[in-house]
Parts: sequence; structure tokens; C-alpha cells
Amino acid sequence: MTLPIDPVDLARCVDCGLCLPHCPTFRATGRESASPRGRIAAMRRVQAGEPVDEAFVSYMQECVQCRGCEAACPSGVPFGRLMEQTRQALRSTRRPRPPLVRRTLEWLAYRVVLPRPGLLVALSWVLIPLRRLPGLTGRTAGLRYRAESLMERLQADDDPDVHLFTGCVMDAWQRDTHRAALRIMRASGAHPGLPGPGAGCCGALQLHAGMDFDARRLARAVMRSLPGDDPIVVCSAGCGAMLKSYGELLETDAAHRFAARVRSFAEWLEEHGGPPLRDTGRTVVVQDPCHLNHVQKVAGSVRRVLAPAYRLVDLDDDGLCCGAGGAYSLTQPELAAAMRDRTLAAIRRAGGDGAVVASANPGCAMHLAAAGVDVRHPAELLEAALGASPDAGDGDAGESEHR
Amino acid sequence: MADLAAALGPGGAREEPLELAMYGKDAGVTRGRPGAVCFPRDAAGVAGAVRIARRHGVPIVPRGSGTGLAGGATPADGALVVSTTRLNRILAVDEHERTAWVEPGVLNLDLTRAVAHLGLHYAPDPSSQQACSIGGNVATNAGGPHCLASGVTSAHVLALDVVLPDGAEVRLGGLEPDTAGYDLRGCFVGSEGTMGIATRVAVRLSPDPPAVSTLLLEFASLDAAAATVGAVIAEGIVPAALEMMDAEITRAVEDYVGAGFPRDAAAILLVELDGRPGSVAADTAAVGELGRAHGARRVRVAADEAERALLWKGRKSAFGAIARIAPDYYLHDAVVPRTRLVDVLRTVYDVADTHALTMMNVFHAGDGNLHPLIVFDASEPGIWDRVASAGDAILRACIAAGGVLSGEHGIGLEKRDHMPLIFGPDDLAAQAGLRAAFDPDGRANPGKVLPEGSRCGEIAGAPEGTWI
Amino acid sequence: MDLSTPSDLDELRDTIVAADTVDPTGAGTHAEVGGTPRGGRAVRVPAGVVAHDPGDLTVTVRAGTPVRDLDALLAEHGQMCALDPTDGSATVGGVLATGLSGWRRLRYGPVRDQVLEVRFVTADGTLVKGGGPTVKNVSGFDLPRLLVGSLGTLGVIVQATLRARPRPRGAAWATADGPPSGILARLHRPSCVTWDGSTVHVLAEGHPADVEAELDAAELTAAAGGPARPAGEHRGRISVRPRVIEPVAAELRRAGIAFLAEVGVGTVDVAGDDPSALVAARAVAEAHGGRLLRVAGAPGLDAFGTPPPGVEVMRRIKAAFDPDGRMAPGRMPFVEAAPAGAVAR
Repeated sequence: MTLPIDPVDLARCVDCGLCLPHCPTFRATGRESASPRGRIAAMRRVQAGEPVDEAFVSYMQECVQCRGCEAACPSGVPFGRLMEQTRQALRSTRRPRPPLVRRTLEWLAYRVVLPRPGLLVALSWVLIPLRRLPGLTGRTAGLRYRAESLMERLQADDDPDVHLFTGCVMDAWQRDTHRAALRIMRASGAHPGLPGPGAGCCGALQLHAGMDFDARRLARAVMRSLPGDDPIVVCSAGCGAMLKSYGELLETDAAHRFAARVRSFAEWLEEHGGPPLRDTGRTVVVQDPCHLNHVQKVAGSVRRVLAPAYRLVDLDDDGLCCGAGGAYSLTQPELAAAMRDRTLAAIRRAGGDGAVVASANPGCAMHLAAAGVDVRHPAELLEAALGASPDAGDGDAGESEHR
Repeated sequence: MADLAAALGPGGAREEPLELAMYGKDAGVTRGRPGAVCFPRDAAGVAGAVRIARRHGVPIVPRGSGTGLAGGATPADGALVVSTTRLNRILAVDEHERTAWVEPGVLNLDLTRAVAHLGLHYAPDPSSQQACSIGGNVATNAGGPHCLASGVTSAHVLALDVVLPDGAEVRLGGLEPDTAGYDLRGCFVGSEGTMGIATRVAVRLSPDPPAVSTLLLEFASLDAAAATVGAVIAEGIVPAALEMMDAEITRAVEDYVGAGFPRDAAAILLVELDGRPGSVAADTAAVGELGRAHGARRVRVAADEAERALLWKGRKSAFGAIARIAPDYYLHDAVVPRTRLVDVLRTVYDVADTHALTMMNVFHAGDGNLHPLIVFDASEPGIWDRVASAGDAILRACIAAGGVLSGEHGIGLEKRDHMPLIFGPDDLAAQAGLRAAFDPDGRANPGKVLPEGSRCGEIAGAPEGTWI
Repeated sequence: MDLSTPSDLDELRDTIVAADTVDPTGAGTHAEVGGTPRGGRAVRVPAGVVAHDPGDLTVTVRAGTPVRDLDALLAEHGQMCALDPTDGSATVGGVLATGLSGWRRLRYGPVRDQVLEVRFVTADGTLVKGGGPTVKNVSGFDLPRLLVGSLGTLGVIVQATLRARPRPRGAAWATADGPPSGILARLHRPSCVTWDGSTVHVLAEGHPADVEAELDAAELTAAAGGPARPAGEHRGRISVRPRVIEPVAAELRRAGIAFLAEVGVGTVDVAGDDPSALVAARAVAEAHGGRLLRVAGAPGLDAFGTPPPGVEVMRRIKAAFDPDGRMAPGRMPFVEAAPAGAVAR
């Protein structure tokens, strides 16, 4: 097979190896085949006519698509694009096929559940008792949503001047974060609205899995649900990066215009001007989600909006991916765990045991929370620092109501 | 392979053809075909792998991060690649003695970061320092911009625990200043894997300077810049770093990162001074004066750490900037006596003209370490012959000026056949004798450094780029 | 003992090839270092500067050049070479062959870091060049470092290119009462810190402003000069890792052995009027994981003590350069092959 990759993109890699330390899977394994340079070498061989074998497929699947390598690459290799295109090609070929169970689960997740937020919320109700089952607690430790939150709908303002994108997983499992975000937006003098009918998953997970057709379909639905020209605020770093890339994905003027409206939560808050905050005197360790840091490149705004209220500590790990990576922690549990261990060590170095960690991505938050880390979204941290916040009276960093 | 799996555990050795192909080359231009790759986690694992290879009559090739530029990690066909990426622990740091024991897979910049809170750093700073490993630095005797004042790797490695090519483990050198007998530590550093594999390295850590000052000097001619370099040295000032960039590369960098470099200067100098505040202030003023006296049209002193970092970012982004101009580039690493810099640079530009190639220069002016850089598009028919011919002409010009083949990248496979340009048969035989004392059977990274012996890899069709 | 002083390379080669055994000789200031030569034809190579371009910060000299003469030449150009032998009449070749570092090692590094290129003649009369004439060079294996400290056992060094440095614009010795712990940590880049059991001596060099700042930082008192190396007929040099220098000094003091320790470096010069002083000093050094090199006197004492690790490799190096064991026999005895029935040391 030939990969549908631009040969010019592929030729840009000069094998210098400067990406290696910025690749979390290379750091975890020390294997060239788990590095961007190695993966590009493998792509080149397939491009040159070598057969796709199981080794090739596994090397491609081991990539967490954090795009930390892109930021480190002096030659500007668009690695994220190369990987997405390679996965599309792998998905469209028939061999070697993944096991049936996996294909079924992927079908259910990507094509059935994620595009239908209502179904996801319904399933989440089912999960509430299940997650206490012995044997499942380890896998579901990151799922800390409460039943009351699922019951209560988010409220939009009349005559909105900004929209909050709610998506799928976050809407089901981290609705309190959106509630906090809405409150901060209102406290900042804005009038937030919510997506109209038909909005659901942004399509990022599908695109990363090589299902570009599904991704485009979902993108069009999201665009339809958010008409107008006011800013679109996204609390999930991964979704935000995806919405910002709709222009390249759909290649229409409308999509480019839509993408230009998209802001990450902290990015919007910084531009708009935030609410008055009190200094909590508390320390927060900032974890940079890859899609905020390497892709949207707006990780600085999180620091700037939190700075008035918290003493911020950075991780010393060069922004290496924590291993969450969308569905990665499910598809590559061993690597994801090794990557998380590295992040956990960095968190301990930065904030000691019991550190409060700020993370602007639901995937990272769940992945880290599953290892016992106290993770809060910046919106929740800000809510706890609102001057008049009743639940922040004891000064505990972001001890928001749902925990 | 079964032996390796038994010795190193599952995943400790691999032989998928696709993966092995990735270990066929480093960041240089040569390629080979290894037979297997293994990932030992400790010295015993390295020794085990070396003994297994020896039992099967297979050569060994140590590999760090694979960022080498001279093909030092290009394996002989069928060789066992011994990767040090899992030997990556910092074992001990003694902040008072200013020493550290590290495993060879520890990355250069990771070491400096790990000791930064003690006010210490590891001085050699190759431009690839974020990615290259201490073991690889030892193998190539790596340098970097700040080696002007502090010396290259061999001045910072105190002791090595190595596995010799016969599988024996031995300590070379020591934390004590003098060891009895020949300086085997000194011989091993820079031996490019031909004398064994280091499993633990004791390095000297350097105290962070109390004060640092970075200057950017702009010139209307290369001669004026070179004259300033000479004047600074003559004044008795030894800067911590002294880098020169020509007009083309300065423009390219400015377009790329916007470091505030002048787009219309013929050359710029980046000068860093460190020490106590008194001398740094005095020398900063003196270097500025000397620059102006020799025709600098502007002298800019970095006002703060952010500006300083930006200037260095510009310098260290040089190769990224070039990668965006043309898909391929190729460089040499020759050193010439500092006083011959201008002559040699002229020749370099002439060579570029006669070969109709674009040439850029960014280099360590303080120690005469040139990095002439040819920018081209490998898809152009016949270009590689012109590039190779120009490279050869440049190398010969450098040597004619009293220079040497490599200042910091090493000889490896790429430049071994140029060795007779600077060494006679007796000199090479003596080096071969030294190597054979460590490796009588020639099993450790055969075919590297010295031109004798069978070729073990072929030059790939086109150079694929590199950095200083 | 025959001394031949060949005036050119061919004559030197002929002398070496014709001699039964060869004893490379300099000024004789450190003739006993590293073992007692077992006779042989003493060979001394000529003096003279081959090349010095101040702008290159390198200088190339014939190995017979006294360091004092080299220093005088460099001084005219405001430069120096950090070899610093205790006796300026020592030759460049002799300093390289013994590898004994001088006062300012703490700042400028050991002898091996000063050598860029070396040329030497091996037992079969071959002239070998190693290294290169530029200040930075990684072309080929590091023969210069191999030759430094090789005590003539691999060949006769005939020429060397050395790293020249700007002469410091200011320099001052100063003292403080001991112990030295803490003083070193307060200095940024001292050239030398010594401890003789009662006084710490510091040499600060560099820009005058820095010299002053260094002395202030460590609250030192200006001194007229540096310390004296301990005197005695029997002398040795201890080498221990720097962190144990104070306990080693304390034990030497208890044993009544005169010493001068280089703090931060880890060398301790010791001396006594009786060979037993060196025996005792060696015991102290070895107890702290170090060693003692016999520098002079104590003829019955092994020059090195316990042979180092890697002796097998060293023997093979020796065999590669001098297969018949004709160069400097008796020095560095542990590298000599042990022929059947003969005793190597």
C-alpha cells in the first residue's frame, strides 16, 4: 500500500533526533520505533513499497499524538498530520485487521455513543453504580461525576454574546466544570449561550483514530449548532484544538471562519478580561495538556488567568504527555501508565504529595485522577477564587461542590 | 537472539526488520544493517550482551540517542546494536565535590537540569544537548559553544566504568585526580565505540557563573568581524562563547525566529562573558569598544535573561532556519587556526560559487571551528556529486590552512577516509595499535575512525541534514 | 650513564634504534618519578620554539625546551601555558612524560588538558604524530592524552603543541586560617587553594576586579606569596578524591608527615626525611581509596603501589608501541611484559 502522505512532508525529517526527548513513548521505552524519527522511518519504508506488517501497525498505534515532537522539530515536520493520514490509510486497508472485540468497541464508541451526547449521558447513569463494582474501581477511578450534576441542565443566558461548547464526554462527566466556566463568564460580564440542537462530539477522537469521514460529519454538525460570529469558548484542550482545525479539515471558508471564533477557556478569559479574584494563597501545579500546549500553543493563558489567585508551580518535564491521549489510555494501557508515572513523579517534585493540579483537558484530568491526583480545571479553580464565592470561604483551593 | 532474550529479559532485544532499519543510521548520512538491537538496563546486561555477541562472532555497536553526525553509530552489517537508552539514571551527585556519576543514556540537558538547583551545570553543551546522551558525548568527545573557555568533553569526564570488547568490566580513571599508568580514560573518550561501552560515567560539574553578559555585534564585513575576534583574544579576554554568523544565515534565522538579528549585516558576532560581576562589566565594555574600533556598526548588550535567551535561541535555531529554506543541507566540522579564519572563509565562498551552491556559515569563531553549510535540494539531479565535491574542496582548504577534520562531531564512518589527509601511515598505525589494545579482535564498532579495514556501510544516496 | 643529545630527527632515530635500551631524559628534575630506570642510553631531545602565533593561542615547541624559556617567550605576548612545574628548568617533554600537574590545576586543568598535539619517536625509530595543532580537535584517537604521564615507556616525545592562554591581568596570593572547608565554596574560579594543616593559601587570578572580589568573598588576607611544597629527601604525591582531602590531611598531620594538599583537586604532596614517611602516607591514601606516587627517594618503595585496573590493556598498549620493552625499562613496571623466569619489577 502507499500511504496518502505528502512526500514533501515526509522528506522534511532530517533524522536529527531532536524530537526524541520530547516524545513520551520514546522516553518510556527507549525504542527508536516508539519515537517520531523511527515512525517516520517506518512510514518512509511503507511509502517505498514495503508491506504493512503487524510491527508497522503497532508502531503507529503506540503514538499518543501529543505532538510534542512538532514543537521540538527544527525542520517543521507536520508529524500530527502524517500520523493522522497514516492511520486513515491503515483503517481503510483490510489487513491486518484488529480483533473483532476491539473493532466492535471502537464502532460503539466512535460511531454510536460519542456522536450522541444524550446516549452518553444515559450510559453514564448506568455507570454510576457499576463504577463501584470491585474490579472496575481501578479503571473508573477517573470518573467522578455525581448523579445530581447529570440531572441538572446547564443554563444559557438570553441574548448571548459568547458560546460555550459542551461536547460529549465533558458534558456527561465534567458538567460541573462547564457550570463553573459559565459562572466565571457571567462574573466577567459576558452572557454565555450554549450550542443549539444537533451539537455533540467535536470529532477529534475519530480523526486521531483515522476515521476522517466521521470526523468531518461531526464537525459540520458542530458548526451548525453554533451559528453566528461570537466567540466559542471550549473548556477541553483537545476539543478546542479540534474546533480550531475545522478550517483545514473541511477546507471551506465557513469552516475557516468558524475556527477563527474558537478560544480555549483561559485564552478567551484573558482576551475578554476576567472577574475580580481574591488571592487564595494556595499553590497549584500547572499541567499543560498537549493540545493546549503543543497544538493550540496557548498554555501561557492558563497561567496568566490563574496567577492573581494562586501561586503556580510548573512541572519540570518539558510538557511531556501524561499518557491520557484521548482513548490512548484504553488502547495502550501499559505505555499510558508508564507515561503517567513519569508525570506523577514530576507532579510530586513540583508540589509534593497531595498537590492540587490544574489541567485544562478532561482526558488528562481523568487519567491523572485515576492515579489519585487531585486535578481541577482552571474554571473550577477560578470559581473557588471568586470574591463572593460561598464555597471557597475556607480558602481550600477549588474545593468545588461536587467532590 | 534467544541468548539475548534470556540475558536481558522480554523486550530486552528486538529483531523486527522494520525496527532494525531504524538502527541502521544516526543523524549522519551513512547506513548499515544491524542484525539485532538490545536494550540492557545495567552494566551486567551490557557485559552479557557483549559476551553473547562475541560468542557468536558478531560485532557490537553502541548507540546513545543517535544524534551523531559522522555515522559513528552506523552499524556494521549484522552487528548487535547496544542501545543505552534504558541506562538512564543519574546515580549520584556530590555537590561539594562537584561531580556526578551517571549512566550513559542520561541526556546532556537532563543532567544540567537535575543539578541546576545546586547552582551547578554540565559544561559541554552541544547544540543537540536536549537530545544527545552523555554516553554519546563521551564517544564523540563532544563540544559546544561554551567549550571555548571550558574545554570539550574529555576535560569533564573523570572516570568511566566500561565493558571492554571481550566482556570484561573495568574502571578507567577515577574521581581522584591522578590514576596510575596510562590515561585509559583519556584514550576512551572520543573513541567512538571502538574501545568498548561505557556503563557509568563520572563527570565534573561546573559552578554557575555569578554574572553573565551576552553581546550582539553587527558588522558590515566579515573581515571586520574576524578582526574583532582577534582583537578580543589579543586583549586577553577569553569569552565563555564566541560565535559568528554570516549574512545569509543571519537573515534566515531572523526570518525564522525573530531574535532581533540585523537583516542587512555582513556578519554578526555573539559574545558571551561570564565570571564575577566586576570583570563581566569591564569585559563587556571592552568587547564593545574593540568591536567599534574594528568597525562594528552596532553593539547590543542583552539587557536581561529573556533577551539573552532570545539571542541564543537565534543562534541555536540556525539549522531549523535552514531546513525551511531548502530541504537538505550538509556541513563539515573542520577547525582552522583562528588567525586563518578569514582566508579560509573566502575559499569556502569561492568553492560555493564554483560549484553553484548556496553556502552559509555559522560557527564557533573563538576556537576556529568552522561549520560551512551547503543548502540544497536533493531531488535536483546530480546535486549530490556537486555537494560532495564542494565538501571535499572545503575540507582540503581547511587542512591546507593548518586545520583538522573535526572539531566536535567526530570521524565515524563519514570522514574516516579523509584521515590520511592529516595523518601519515605511521600515525594511523599507532592509533590502530591503541585501538587494538582495547579490542584485539576488532569487534567493537569496526570500520570506524580509521581508514583501514573493510567498509561496513555505504554512503547513502544523499545527505539528509544535520546541525552543529 | 651515556647521554646522547641528537640534534636532528634522523640522529635521534638512529640513536634509539641502535641502543639496547633507551632512557628518555629531560632536565632531570623528576628523574625518579614512576620507577627507577634500569640503565639504558639516556636521550635528550633539543630545545626550541617551532611555532607561536599569539592569535591562535597555541605554541609548538621541541620537547627539550625548558618550561622557564617557554614561559618567558609567551610572557612577551601576554600569554602563558599552565604547566607550572615546581622547577622551571624542567623540560616540556619531561613535564608531559611525568604528567605531574602544577599549582594552578584547579583552574586550568591537568597537564593532559594543555596538550593539543604530540610527536614522539617509538622504539623502532618511527615518528608518530597524534592530535592536531588546533585548539579544538576530535580527529582520531587521543594519542596526546596517552603520552601524557607515560614516563617515556611508549616513546621519546620530541615536539608538542600546547594550549596558550592569556596571562591573567591580575593575580594575588592570600591566606586564611584553616580548615579549608567552606573557603573553596565561596570562591568562584580560584586558581589554587592549598592547605598545609594550619594555613589555607589561595591564588586568585583574572581581572583585577575579580581578584579583589574573590579575596573579599572568602575573607582572605593578602599574602606575599604562595606556600612552600614540603621538603625532604623522600617525596611523594597522594591522589585522593577531593571530598576526603581533610580527613587525609588530618591523618597525615597525626602521623607527623609534612604535607601540602591542593583543595578541590585532591593531590597532596608529602615529604619526610625517612622513607617510612612515604610508607605511612601511602597507607593513609589507600585507606581513603586513593594512592601515592613516589616522586623521589625511598628507593625500596614501589613507585605506584597497587597496580591500577586495566593493567591488561596497558600492557597491550605498551606491547603495541614497544614490543621488545626497550623504552624506559624500570619505569611504570606494571606495564612491562613478564618474560618467563624474569621478575618484572
